Amino acid sequence: MLAHLRIPTSQLDLAEVVSASGIIEGSADSGLVFVASGPAIGDDWAAVASELSEVFRLTQQAVRSGAPVVYVVAGEDLLGQRGAAAAMVATGMLSAARTAAIETSRAGVPINVVAAYDDASLDDVVAWIERLLVPTGATGEVVRVGVGHIGKALP
Amino acid sequence: MRIAVATGVAGGIGGKLAARLGDAGYHVICVDLANGVAEVAESLPAATAIQADLTSEEGRASVVSAVQSLGGLDLLVNNAGITRDARIVKMSQAQFDAVLAVNLGSVFQLSTELAPYLREGSAIVSISSRAYLGNFGQFNYSMSKGGVVGLTRALALELAPNVRVNAIAPGLIETPMAMAIPAEIRDAMVNAIPLQRMGLPGDVAEAVVWLGDGERSGYLTGHVLVVGGGRSLI
Repeated sequence: MLAHLRIPTSQLDLAEVVSASGIIEGSADSGLVFVASGPAIGDDWAAVASELSEVFRLTQQAVRSGAPVVYVVAGEDLLGQRGAAAAMVATGMLSAARTAAIETSRAGVPINVVAAYDDASLDDVVAWIERLLVPTGATGEVVRVGVGHIGKALP
Repeated sequence: MRIAVATGVAGGIGGKLAARLGDAGYHVICVDLANGVAEVAESLPAATAIQADLTSEEGRASVVSAVQSLGGLDLLVNNAGITRDARIVKMSQAQFDAVLAVNLGSVFQLSTELAPYLREGSAIVSISSRAYLGNFGQFNYSMSKGGVVGLTRALALELAPNVRVNAIAPGLIETPMAMAIPAEIRDAMVNAIPLQRMGLPGDVAEAVVWLGDGERSGYLTGHVLVVGGGRSLI
């Protein structure tokens, strides 16, 4: 399947697994996979604003085309465990996904979030990305991959 | 005397918030971009008025300077916020940028810059929104208020054990902005609230004062308190 793959250079391992999968790099008009930078973003507001702005622009492009969207964040960042900047990006993306999902629900366009924990295998993460790029009835959902979330606060 | 900073005091919730903090015995450093900030401060027993744009370095520096001159800080209430609603397909970059800068950027930057002045046992309370769970026409606002939730969790871990950090997520609150919604639509919104009424600014202010008081809520940190009349259940 075609999708624009926004994967930061800090996550080359994930990029390699994605490239070996059935997801082929395309434009956001056909689909969007946006991977948050995590702690590599640093602690500067300008970097946070820039990343969230990129989320907005690419998501808007995808939604205008009726294309599916999958955001990928670190589960640890949803809990604020790796610094404020990474946390703001991760939780901001989750809330934005929920709102975009409300707006696109009638059209049946899925917008979901994969929250990958440190212990999750990259193969499992990419399998969930593939699954969520096609309509499955799930939208506005966060899928937590790995066991790091068990017993912790809900995102 | 305990010192509190409250932002957005000239807004719908902010005036009641400042008054409630004054009643609770705080010297309130009242901050807002709007002219009404001086009037709010004058109505309190002990207050300082600062008219400032918190998205600017100079604006935030004026708040930090006031805290320095008073010797420290016991409670920071990040209340300032704006809306620029539109469906994502229609939303402009300017609408997105403005909301993100005020609702999240200024909260992050002011909290970070005031953190060194927070006394042991002090607290930060940030006003998020029930929209962090998702709300039609508010991609920018929802993202910014979701970001406040993440910031709250991160700061709760970073500043523990000396400072507690929590957030409040208000639902539909009876403010001039809410009362400007056409009555028919507003009635339908109220009907979807289990408690069958809009929240009052005082409902939010009371929650803020409670979360700021270490004697009453001293074991709470990293929490998001939804003050929404049960709206997020249905």
